[in-house]
Order: sequence, then structure tokens, then C-alpha cells
Amino acid sequence: MFKQITNLHGDEIYLITSLWIFLVFFILVACMLVWMKKEHVHYMSDIPFDDAEEKNEEPLKRN
Amino acid sequence: MQLERFNYDNRIVRDFGVATIIWGLVGMSIGLLVACQLIWPEMNFLTQYTTFGRVRPVHTNAVIFAFVGNGIFMGVYYSLQRVLKARMFSDVLSKVHFWGWQLVIVASAITLPLGLTSSHEYAEMEWPIDIAIAVIWVVFGINMFGTIIKRRERHMYVAVWFYIATFVTVAVLHIVNSIQLPVSMWKSFYVYAGVQDALVQWWYGHNAVAFFLTTPYLGMMYYFLPKMANRPVYSYKLSILHFWSLIFIYIWAGPHHLLYTSLPSWVQSLGVVFSIMLIAPSWGGMINGLLTLRGAWDKVRTEPMLKFMVVALTSYGMATFEGPMLSLKQVNAIAHFTDWIVAHVHVGALGWNGFMTFAILYYLIPRVYKTTLYSKKLANVHFWIGTLGILFYAIPMYWAAVVQGLMWKEFTPEGVLKYPNFLATTLEIIPMHMMRAVGGALYLSGAIIMTYNLVKTIKQGRLLADEAAEAPALLPLITIEHAPHRRLERKPVLFMVLALIAILIGGIVEMIPTFTVSSNVPTIASVKPYTALELQGRDLYLREGCVNCHSQTVRPFRSETSRYGEYSKAGEFVYDRPFLWGSKRTGPDLHRVGGKYPHKWHFDHLLDPTITSPGSIMPAYPWLIDQQLDNTLLQAKMRAMRTLGVPYSTQEIDQALVDLEQQAAAISKDLAANQVEVRPDREIVAMIAYLQRLGTDIKAVAKEEATANANQ
Repeated sequence: MFKQITNLHGDEIYLITSLWIFLVFFILVACMLVWMKKEHVHYMSDIPFDDAEEKNEEPLKRN
Repeated sequence: MQLERFNYDNRIVRDFGVATIIWGLVGMSIGLLVACQLIWPEMNFLTQYTTFGRVRPVHTNAVIFAFVGNGIFMGVYYSLQRVLKARMFSDVLSKVHFWGWQLVIVASAITLPLGLTSSHEYAEMEWPIDIAIAVIWVVFGINMFGTIIKRRERHMYVAVWFYIATFVTVAVLHIVNSIQLPVSMWKSFYVYAGVQDALVQWWYGHNAVAFFLTTPYLGMMYYFLPKMANRPVYSYKLSILHFWSLIFIYIWAGPHHLLYTSLPSWVQSLGVVFSIMLIAPSWGGMINGLLTLRGAWDKVRTEPMLKFMVVALTSYGMATFEGPMLSLKQVNAIAHFTDWIVAHVHVGALGWNGFMTFAILYYLIPRVYKTTLYSKKLANVHFWIGTLGILFYAIPMYWAAVVQGLMWKEFTPEGVLKYPNFLATTLEIIPMHMMRAVGGALYLSGAIIMTYNLVKTIKQGRLLADEAAEAPALLPLITIEHAPHRRLERKPVLFMVLALIAILIGGIVEMIPTFTVSSNVPTIASVKPYTALELQGRDLYLREGCVNCHSQTVRPFRSETSRYGEYSKAGEFVYDRPFLWGSKRTGPDLHRVGGKYPHKWHFDHLLDPTITSPGSIMPAYPWLIDQQLDNTLLQAKMRAMRTLGVPYSTQEIDQALVDLEQQAAAISKDLAANQVEVRPDREIVAMIAYLQRLGTDIKAVAKEEATANANQ
């Protein structure tokens, strides 16, 4: 099954480089998540509800 | 803190909503028509403007760009204003955007049945319409970024990130995929050829699904689902991870549409690996959506719009699991070119896009008309009839795919194909196609019920065109934000640039080596450019949309080489603009059809396919016999091709009409010898010339080699 990604006749460099690029990218995003404060997370998730039309409706419930 | 008063523009939301409903009904009705044509081909009403090949792109473009496109703009214009606490940047731009987009749709609906097509799947419109699309898209972008800039909310909510990524990526995809050299107002050639054209087209095609059918809908999900459930999104952190991983990975997956073709194998493998990785962010989004309903599942029982949302998310989860599975070579070997792909696409289109659009319409229309939904009962009926429609559509298609895919590959104990006649496999799945049409009819019926329900809702309310709102003015930032993503959420231009970089990486890694390293597309000395008559025949093949049913690439399987002949090589396509590998085999592959049958067979087959293939579901093309071949653009086309690198000599271009007449006369003479009287200047002669050329260049090499071996 894995022959299709191991037997590339010297073109493995494209695959390996691409996966490295993704790994670095993913780690950068993960770091940003780690550094994010809980209050900001709550503030951001509540943005759709900070809206005039919701004032008369039932109170917002948080999970 | 000073409160500012302003108004939300609901009129533009209503306009796009109405357009969504109208184009949805049109697109689905055309879909039902083409589904019926695959059972009863005479349902083209025997005119050339309504054959399957010409109408199928009308269906796909109508549902993608007219129904879903208007649905996107409806949802974006509603949610963007509210999460940014600002009216749209410019009412004039909103109107230009709305009417310009409708004009593009009408222009496409007129030109595609006329056979004016570039033949790139999901981008068939010719270059003037491509330019119009680009202009209108820029208008949308200016209006969106103008609104973002004048916002009263400092940080951009996750929905806005998805809208930004959609804008920038669709712009890149559309521009790169549409680079053509115009020959006339309605004829152009892509600058890419063969394998490279295939890579660009499926990089575009796959990512049109990603960034037109997925990211804007994810953005809308992040706004409308919490609103409908009255709960914030389950995990904001997950949405960040979901967003960046999704846009980064999606762009790489296009080559999985070209597995086992002559595309370089490393590009295919990259497509496979990133397709598998794509499950994670896709399911991250689905899980984030479904878990937003945690504690609110009781509402799903009573709120039809939440029912639609749950099925939409489930369909998204199914389609995004199935897609990566289909990209595994072992699965792809059986499923590709079958109805499995059609089922896969429709689970996404009907379930994810269709149902979420319906949910948003049920949410929006009563709100902008300041009333309540006319009938929840009818909305529930719509939900159940629509769900049944999806099941009746998808299950028979999966069944048909397994039946036909296995029949194509079955050998007898003696080692020959058990079903050498392709038609036998097509006729076997007609009952499944009938059930699919029933599924489509059910789904359309649901949409008609929704239309009635929403019209009644509109009639009982009154449009609140300018909805009053208030919010504090955005003051200059006085504290330093240390968290990098928090800073990013208030910098739209930087956000767009980073999203652009994320989506460019995959395309660059896959395309630049394929375009620049010559060993990726080895040339074959015996492959020559098409003759003048063959070139004209190829344009007729494009006009009639033959590529919608016939592929032109033989994969390196015993089942395919036994059925069709030698597998296709990259070097055979270097003069093909556009490439015509296709994505579905309703009929057999045609890459090696050249020389397989006499001219008379092709004449009879085009006159009435049942003469040569009793029971065939291919439509008849009698107009090819009646219509005179139009050669007015022939030399201009050859000159354009020469500009793009096709080695036509000046003499060949000057002599084109003479050469064309000579080749046509030879075909006409051969037909006459077989009791068929047809003038050499008829279109059918050019079509026969083209079909007889297909795949023959390397046959010539094989013959020469055989002769040389015999002489030794």
C-alpha cells in the first residue's frame, strides 16, 4: 500500500519537503493557540451574540 | 463610551436570497433533465442546444455558481455586517455585485447551450465571461474589505477569516485557471497543454470545491449555527486550528483527480498524502459544528432549520471522509470514472451546500421581513422529502458504481474481458439511474415546497430594508496584545496575505516542477500537431461536450489496456489545448479510438448511435451532417496555437484550407465508397477526422518498430 509514497524514483524530495513545510506550519499555529488567553477565546466566541436583535430573545447558554 | 447608530442593509441580503431560490430551482430542474437524458436520450428534444454534453455544464455551473454562489453572498452579506457591526461598505458596490453576478449567470446560461465552451470542468465559460467573473469578484472583495476596514468590532470573528480566505483563493484559482489566448470573441486556447493543463484544471476544480463550496459555508456555519442554537461555537481554539490547517492542506489535494494518468507520479503521491491528511481539519470543523449543539439537541426536534444543519454537517463529514478514501490509489482504481464520484459530489452538494442554504434561508427570510416562518410543518416536510431525495440519489449511484466498476474489470477464466462491449455495463445500471432521477425529483419537490413557504412568509411580513443597530465607535488601541493570533484577528490585510501564502505553497510545489522540469513530461518524436481538419473536428468535440461522457486517457491496468489499447503517455498530449481526459465514463474511453472503426461506423454512430450500438443512451447528432463546417477562424486558430508553441509552419497555416479540403475529400470519398453520400464540407467529416486521429501517433511508432524488427 505504501509503495505509492516510498517508491518515487528519486522524487521523494518533493514529498518530504512538503511534509516538513506542513509540520512547521502546524507547529506555528499550535503555538499561537497555546498563547491564547481564555478571556479572549470567550470574547471572540460571543461576537455573533453581541447584537441588537438578540436582546429580546432567550439568554445565551454556554456549553 | 459613545454609541454610534447605523443600519444593516437587509435589501441586498433579500435580493441574494431570492436569487438563490430562483437559481436553485432552475439548476435542480436542469439536473433532473440531464438525469432523465441518461435514461432516455431523446429527452434532448432532438435539438443540438439541449443534448447532455451541452446541458450538463449548465447544470453544474447553475448549482455551483448561481445557487450556491448567491447563497454564499446572501449569508456573507448578512453575517459580515453583524459580526463587524457595520453596514456594507457601499450600497452601490452591493448592487453592482448583485446585478453583475446575475448577468454572468445569464450569459453562461446562454453561451453554454450554444456550445461556446472552454471545456475546463466547472470553468467552461469563455474568456469574456471569465473576465466579467473576475471583475465582479473584485467588486465583492472591495465591498467586503471596505466593510472590514470601517468595522466597529476590533477583532474579526472566525466566519470573517473564512470569507477572506474564500475571496483571495477563488481569485487566485480563477485567474490561473483562466489564462487563455483569445482567438475571437468566443474562442480561446489555454496557455497550458496536456498534462500541465490537466494539473492546473484539477488544482482549480478540486479547490473550487474547497474554496467555493466549503470555506464560505464553514464561515456561515460558524455564524448561523451558534445563532440558531443560541450557543457560542463549541471551541474557538479548534476553529483556529481548523481554519489554518484546512486552507493549507486543501490546496495540495487536486492531483488525486488524476491518479494513474500520465501526471508525474510524485505529484499524484503528494495529492494522495495531503488528501488523507485533509480528514483531520475537515472533521475538526464538523465536530466543532456538531458539538456546538451540545445541550441544545432538544431544539433539533422542534426547529427544522437545525435539522437541516445537522444533516448538512453529517453530509460534510461523510463527503470529507469519502474524498480521502477515494484518493487512495487502490480505491480510485475501481471508483474513478464511475457513478461513485457523482454520488460523492452530490452528498456534498445536496447535503452540505443545499441543506445549509435551506437552513439559512429559513433563518434569514423571517428576520429580514420581521415576521415568523409561515409554516414550520411545511419546513419539516421539506426536510424529510429532501433527506429522502439525498438517499434515493446517493444509494443507487453507489450501487451503480460498484456494479459498473467491477464489470469493467472482470475477466473470464480464459483471460479475456467478460464484458468487452462497454455498452453492456451501461445498460446494466439504467435502473439505478432511474432511481437517481426519482431522488432528484424528490429533492426538487422539497425545494418547491420551501419556495411556497418562503413566499407566504414574505407576503405576511414587510421588508426591513434598513435595520437599525448601534455599537460603540472603534477607538484606537491603547494596550499591546501579545498573543500573535489575537493581533492577527484585527489586521485584515495581514490576515489576507498570510492566507494567500498558505494557499500558494501547495500549488507552487506541485506546479513549478511540472512546468519547468522537462523530464516530468517526456516528449514523443512521432506525436505531431493536429491537421487543419482534425483541429476543426476537435473544436466540434468541445462544442458538443463529448468530454462529459468520454474520457481520453487509458490507465495502465490490464482491464483498460485489454479494452482500449496501449495506456496513455504524457508526451501524447503536448498539443492538446485543452486536455480532454474527462472525469466520467458514461461511454467508453476514446483515446485509442483512432483507426479502430471505419469512417462509415463513425458516420452511422453519430447519425444514430443505436445503428452501431443497439440500446445506446448516447444522443444522435444529425445536425453534424446538415451543418457546414465554419472555417473562418481556422488560420487564426493555427496562428494562436503557434504562438503557444505548437510547431505549425507558415506554409501549413497558409495552406490550411487547401489541406483541410484534401483530407475532407478523402474521407468523403471513403464514405461514398461505403454507400454514404455526404459533402466534404460538412461538420461530421471534421469530427470523423478528429476521432480517427485519436491515439494513433504512437501506433505509428509501433508499426515502424515492427517493420524494423521484421527487416532485421
